[in-house]
Amino acid sequence: MLFGKGLWKGMRITFKKMMKPNITEYYPEVMPTLPKSVRSSMGLDPAKCIACGMCATACPNKVINLTSEKDETTKKKVLKSYQMNVGRCIFCGLCTEACPTKALTVTQEFENSVFSRDDLLWDMIERSKRNGKGENA
Amino acid sequence: MGEASTEELIVNLGPQHPSMHGVFRMVVHLDGEIVTKVEPKMGYLHRGIEKLAESRTYQQFIPYTDRLDYLASPCNNLAYVQTVEKLMELEIPERAEYLRVIFAELARIASHMVFISSAALDIAGWTTWGYPFRDRERILDLFEMSTGSRMTTNSMRIGGVQNDVPPEFWPALQSFLEDLPDMLEEYYGIYLGNEIAMGRMKHIGILSPETIKDLSLTGPVIRASGFDYDVRKAEPYGIYDRFDFKVPVLNGCDTYDRNMIRLYEIEESGKIIRQAMENIPDGPVMAKVPKLIKVPAGEVYHRVENPKGELGFYIVSDGTQKPVRIRIRTGTFTNLQSLNKVLIGNTVQDLIVIFASFDAVLGEVDK
Amino acid sequence: MEALNQLPRVIAAAIRGLFADPNSVWADLTMTIIGILAVVIVIVLAVLVLVVLERKVAGWASLRPGPNRLGPIGWFQTIADALKIMSKEDIFPAGADKLVFAIAPAIFFCIPIMTLAIIPFGDGMVPVDLDLGVIYFFAVSSIGTLLLLMAGWGSNSKYSLMGGIRAVAQMISYEIPLIFSVLGVVMITQSFNLTDIVVAQKTIPFIFIQPLAFAVFLIASVAEVNRAPFDLVEADQEIVAGPFTEYSSIRWGLFYLGEYGNMVAVAAMATTLFLGGWQGPGFLPGWIWFWLKVGVIIFFMMWIRWTFPRIRIDQLMHFAWKFLLPLALLNIILTGFGIYIYRLVIGG
Repeated sequence: MLFGKGLWKGMRITFKKMMKPNITEYYPEVMPTLPKSVRSSMGLDPAKCIACGMCATACPNKVINLTSEKDETTKKKVLKSYQMNVGRCIFCGLCTEACPTKALTVTQEFENSVFSRDDLLWDMIERSKRNGKGENA
Repeated sequence: MGEASTEELIVNLGPQHPSMHGVFRMVVHLDGEIVTKVEPKMGYLHRGIEKLAESRTYQQFIPYTDRLDYLASPCNNLAYVQTVEKLMELEIPERAEYLRVIFAELARIASHMVFISSAALDIAGWTTWGYPFRDRERILDLFEMSTGSRMTTNSMRIGGVQNDVPPEFWPALQSFLEDLPDMLEEYYGIYLGNEIAMGRMKHIGILSPETIKDLSLTGPVIRASGFDYDVRKAEPYGIYDRFDFKVPVLNGCDTYDRNMIRLYEIEESGKIIRQAMENIPDGPVMAKVPKLIKVPAGEVYHRVENPKGELGFYIVSDGTQKPVRIRIRTGTFTNLQSLNKVLIGNTVQDLIVIFASFDAVLGEVDK
Repeated sequence: MEALNQLPRVIAAAIRGLFADPNSVWADLTMTIIGILAVVIVIVLAVLVLVVLERKVAGWASLRPGPNRLGPIGWFQTIADALKIMSKEDIFPAGADKLVFAIAPAIFFCIPIMTLAIIPFGDGMVPVDLDLGVIYFFAVSSIGTLLLLMAGWGSNSKYSLMGGIRAVAQMISYEIPLIFSVLGVVMITQSFNLTDIVVAQKTIPFIFIQPLAFAVFLIASVAEVNRAPFDLVEADQEIVAGPFTEYSSIRWGLFYLGEYGNMVAVAAMATTLFLGGWQGPGFLPGWIWFWLKVGVIIFFMMWIRWTFPRIRIDQLMHFAWKFLLPLALLNIILTGFGIYIYRLVIGG
């Protein structure tokens, strides 16, 4: 019963696999290229933001905290501070869909680990100044 | 001299165990190596999802449904979104319906692939673990390309799908479908066609049709015992009545058939995706719904065929933006109630194998 | 190449010559101690290579590179593993039987040393040349069964006890076909001495004359050293780690290395009995041929491990008693007939 074609077929499959080159991605020497719509992180463009607060309302977990002030000359709201408590974020992307001017978008940065809990309070305006518009990986 | 007395050994197959299926605990009473009684203890992954639903709006609850059966998240999204649409009596564009079917069937294939590799790991087929996971990577790349995330896809919305798929989706899907028969041949050659695996899995863990009727089990588990019941054929939802596919049914009632039936189901899902790809029309992917959705008052129950069983949502609403109560009926929770009937009389080695064939995902069990 | 072949003899004669009386007891004693040290060094080096080789073969079978960070393409991984194991805390379970718990790993690592000491690695390179080599080998390797039971009992844990009992059942069942399959070789060469057996294979290795015995020996030896598909003793998924569950740090390290040492010993025995020992075409010295043949058998054992799932305990017993043992007995009967006919025809 125990010694038949099934066993021999299995061994042939494994042997053939040993002869082929392997398919591992050699991270971190080789960085992966992620598609454009991947929801690994959020980025804010403060110039486009009109401080409407739709993103904070759409978020399931109350991650976003924003304050604004009224600009006296144009009578429109201007963004003062924008904080995301990323420790509570589930990266669902509902905030980016709710934004009417597409100021809040997803970016492709995926190396987001930090060493202490306080670093998880992201100040989005600071982050947008890091590399131009805070868009690319 | 009297006879030597033997004691019953009580072993705790605890939440931390190398046999991977999540955090599930069983207290097993053993007589030598034979199992006499099993006490399952669930609840180690309880996160209070049903209670959280009472303080979230309908749109905000969709990411939470991802995390129920996290290996097939578009299927869970589909169940919830269709329930809300049934209460609102909403019409959805054609293209959105076809895209929903494609995502749900891809998720079914991905979930069955994880099942094959984890079931093989339980009988020490370490190489077999790698092959379905490598093939599942292609499905996850498809999800990442279109919805933005690999596992918790959050892909469906009330009224349609999140966004349209990019143009590079279709060639990738086509090449995946062409490679699918070779993948299934490989899994059969290295794992299910193996005499050692067959000897391990045949004629153990018999699930009789009476147990199925008494405890109302669902899913591929009952189709391996001769029951021809699939929600996609019995009560078609969405546009499933337009597709031409068979429901595989096997009659063995044992563990080997529960493994084989999932291979056949992968093949049938491939057929459905191919038909959907050929017939998909152009058009919008989202119906006209307001930004903040208000659902009319009432109660509704809707169920779909998940890869693991039947998933049902029961929603009670009072006309505001947040539901009053959402009750989730998951397939695995009900299937695991039959453990006592199926496991008695087998040895410890068989216990692990039989439990693996039930395909338990603890996110579904504990919600 | 003849010079390289004779190199060990030359060194041995030189060391003996240092003594006043080259045949005295002190010279013999020194040669024996040097031989045993050589065996220990050989085992440690072999295990060093085998641990990485196993993980690399596992990786190749699933299209991965295996360990590739430490050293050139990852071949220094064992050194890191050994340092890690030695730096862990040594846990002694509360109700454990102190003497039994402590002795088991120490002696387990001595078994491969004792069994490798009688195997000829090359022409004249036997640390200890015993006349009863074959019997001694199997007698010593049976001690391993007792040690696994000691480990299982002494740990005072249910998983360990179950593992220990399974180990006894498995190893006793597979020793009998193992020993019977060797009897055919002994009948042909009329001697238990391993050097005589290798020399008798000058014209043709015994694998061609005794293919059935070779197959039975290989399968039974895979079961004896507890490797997949027969590794129920330490079945990861069911009884955590069997008798080794409660061991930590260097005690567990000794069990781990002892398992690989046993694998080398059994592969070396298969090479000596069936594949011709150190003999081969003249362009490489004998001791390199020996290690190449051992390498082929070890690769075959690893290939089997990473392909097949594990079999169940009652199927294991069926396989040993109802399948392998009759095959081994059949082999003895056929060998007897073969020798009788050979003598009739050749008349020698």
